[in-house]
Amino acid sequence: MALSSVLPAEQYNYGIVRKFTIMAMVWAVIGMSVGVYIASELAWPFLNFDIPALTFGRLRPVHTTLVIFGFGGSALFATSYYIVQRTCQARLAFPWLAEFTFWGWSGGVALGALTYVLGITQGREYAEFEWPLDIAITLVWVSYIVVYVETIRRRSQPHIYVANWFFMAFLLAVALLHIFNNLAIPVSLTKSYSLFAGVQDAMTQWWYGHNAVGFFLTAAFLGMMYYFVPKQAGRPVYSYRLSIIHFWALIFLYMWAGGHHLHWTALPDWVSTLSAAFSVLLLMPSWGGMINGIMTLSGAWDKLRSDPIMLFLITSLSFYGMSTFEGPLMSLKSVNALSHYTDWTIGHVHSGALGWVALVSFGSFYHLIPRLWDTRMYSQPLIYIHFWLATIGIVLYITSMWVAGIGQGLMLRSFDDYGNLAYTFIETVEFMHTPYIWRALGGAFFVAGVLVMVYNMYMTIQSTRREQAAIEAKLAAKLAKA
Amino acid sequence: MSDNTNTPQPSGAVQTTGHAWDSDLQEYNNPLPRWWLWCFYGTVVFSILYWFIYPSWPVGNTWIKGFGTVEYTAVDKATGQEQGKEFRWNTRALLLEELGNAANDQQRKAMLAKVQAADYEQIAKDPKMMEFVRSVGKGLFGDNCAACHGRGGQGVVGMYPNLTDDDWLWGSSSDKIHETLVQGRKGFMPAFGQVLKPEQLDDVAEYVLTLSDEAPSSEDSERGKAIFQGQVGGCYYCHGADAKGIPSQGAANLTDKIWAIANVPAQKTLQDKKAVIKEFVAKGVNNTRVMPAWKDRLSPTDIKLLAVYVHQLGGAQ
Repeated sequence: MALSSVLPAEQYNYGIVRKFTIMAMVWAVIGMSVGVYIASELAWPFLNFDIPALTFGRLRPVHTTLVIFGFGGSALFATSYYIVQRTCQARLAFPWLAEFTFWGWSGGVALGALTYVLGITQGREYAEFEWPLDIAITLVWVSYIVVYVETIRRRSQPHIYVANWFFMAFLLAVALLHIFNNLAIPVSLTKSYSLFAGVQDAMTQWWYGHNAVGFFLTAAFLGMMYYFVPKQAGRPVYSYRLSIIHFWALIFLYMWAGGHHLHWTALPDWVSTLSAAFSVLLLMPSWGGMINGIMTLSGAWDKLRSDPIMLFLITSLSFYGMSTFEGPLMSLKSVNALSHYTDWTIGHVHSGALGWVALVSFGSFYHLIPRLWDTRMYSQPLIYIHFWLATIGIVLYITSMWVAGIGQGLMLRSFDDYGNLAYTFIETVEFMHTPYIWRALGGAFFVAGVLVMVYNMYMTIQSTRREQAAIEAKLAAKLAKA
Repeated sequence: MSDNTNTPQPSGAVQTTGHAWDSDLQEYNNPLPRWWLWCFYGTVVFSILYWFIYPSWPVGNTWIKGFGTVEYTAVDKATGQEQGKEFRWNTRALLLEELGNAANDQQRKAMLAKVQAADYEQIAKDPKMMEFVRSVGKGLFGDNCAACHGRGGQGVVGMYPNLTDDDWLWGSSSDKIHETLVQGRKGFMPAFGQVLKPEQLDDVAEYVLTLSDEAPSSEDSERGKAIFQGQVGGCYYCHGADAKGIPSQGAANLTDKIWAIANVPAQKTLQDKKAVIKEFVAKGVNNTRVMPAWKDRLSPTDIKLLAVYVHQLGGAQ
């Protein structure tokens, strides 16, 4: 290796990776705490305190934006900038532009959350940013693409590693989705109207919404998985062929499936069928990533006993497999008739978001942090504690939402002896009260785990500073003697 | 660059692709897992079948309709008769099918026709019809009325009338309840804060409390009575000389222990009880006691069913 005599910290731009890593954890704490708060509001509505800024409607987009774009987005920036440098053996291109992506992204997310609290929103799920912020985000995203692609162009490796394919698909698709979904006519600085109307508007929104899940929360995190799982396991990826097939199948099929969010609405029947079938077709391509990740560990299963990071990564793949099975199931019209508009959907999203996205990010960060700060994690037992808190939290969350969602779905469609509805809507709400408490508790467990991680991370970084100071003090003492 | 560094593999194992990144990242060249491939083919076959059964691909200005059909009964516009129809699969036809085929649909339709034809007296006398009314009414009341009046119709003192007691502001016959539902109601009482002096308000409040035996008769209440029954206050115009209220005015009966607006039972001392009554006499009631009209929101049949349902909640004559 030409550059092997140079320390990685000097060879690569780790500064930007460190910033995004820290910011990801900041957003995780705030975003997930807001999540626990609004979950508690649903269980105990007095928590609204009759303050508009604190109501579920205002805080819900704050929660989703901070968690998806704040935490998830920053985690992706951090890991993708790390991976692209190391697998291309090239320093990150245009460091000032990369710096701009950090301040632009963090500022955009923060301003977004602030505007939602003030009631400024486009009312498009997962795309609530009003038009000035949309333009700013577009600029940041294009800069991200330029930095990333130019780094790949400058690679000193003939081949492009699989993780980078996934990241590039994600970069391209998110740009496309963001721009088309946010086409709108501004009427003031804080208000705009969508360019589309009626069912076309809904279709555009869910084309965006579903592919935000597909490319932001799936493809990009698979990119993360494809680097950190084989790295942490110290073993080659299970199958190169599988990675190619499932990559192309996944990115081709995902684009068609958005219509399944609009079953049994004004959406034309043929669009419904088409999107349901494409969702079923997505099952195996999605599982390709899970198989490739889990099978990478085959032959080294004992690592699950000794390595908590591996525990995070493999568990995340299991939740990924579970939620990508549940998704096609729920996209079938007949199942959707029961699940739609119930908390089953919320449970499904969180088995993906907490189980897959968050766990794979935590696992990757635990691998990343010691390398970024050139040290060891402060405490190994705390990683185990984090793992169990997170897992208990996820299980409580998902099961309570299954109970609430399937229960409400069944209540809404049950009839008495005369063929009249057996339950009123408010009775279904009363039924959900108990599962809602359990859900809030599950969320609290998960946040507790995140706080343990933040403490562990803080102590790790602090110890590096202390070591550094000690070395400098010794040097200074030597110099003073001489 | 030395990117062709194969890590040594146990003999007979699958080889890697020969590339390496970041010093040790490699990939085995394992074939696609068989079960994975067959499952994928399985989903392809499933999708093709799904596309054949349901409307699917767009072609030109139209779309492939699919082989699936739905059978449903619909009223023929020309003859007015119910007719079985078969149509290609679509969600609207499916809704009609489900509406027509629900297990107890025939019974429901028959009972509905019977209730529509009967008058209030006949419905009340027929236990079968009343059972049916309670079955429909629970949902109708729960989804439309319960938000204000409460699930059991118990209401909220001072805000929404209790429908389970025998105190009815606008009359409790089925016809009156029907009228209330159709056109809505708007409670009104003029404000006396400017008309009466504070001590006169005191006296009136004192008198009102004696009507329901909340307070003993006194000099004050006698003065209040004069105001109530005379031209100074003129309260008797609406509440009646016997203070039992006049339903056509929506005026409350003041002689019973049931309070619709001033929450007297919640007050402990006589002074507090007087204060809440005084407050309402001074301010009056305007735009705060509104029952919406349901004639444009519910069908005549639904309103009829609700009138019977509310009537049987208890208390109504």
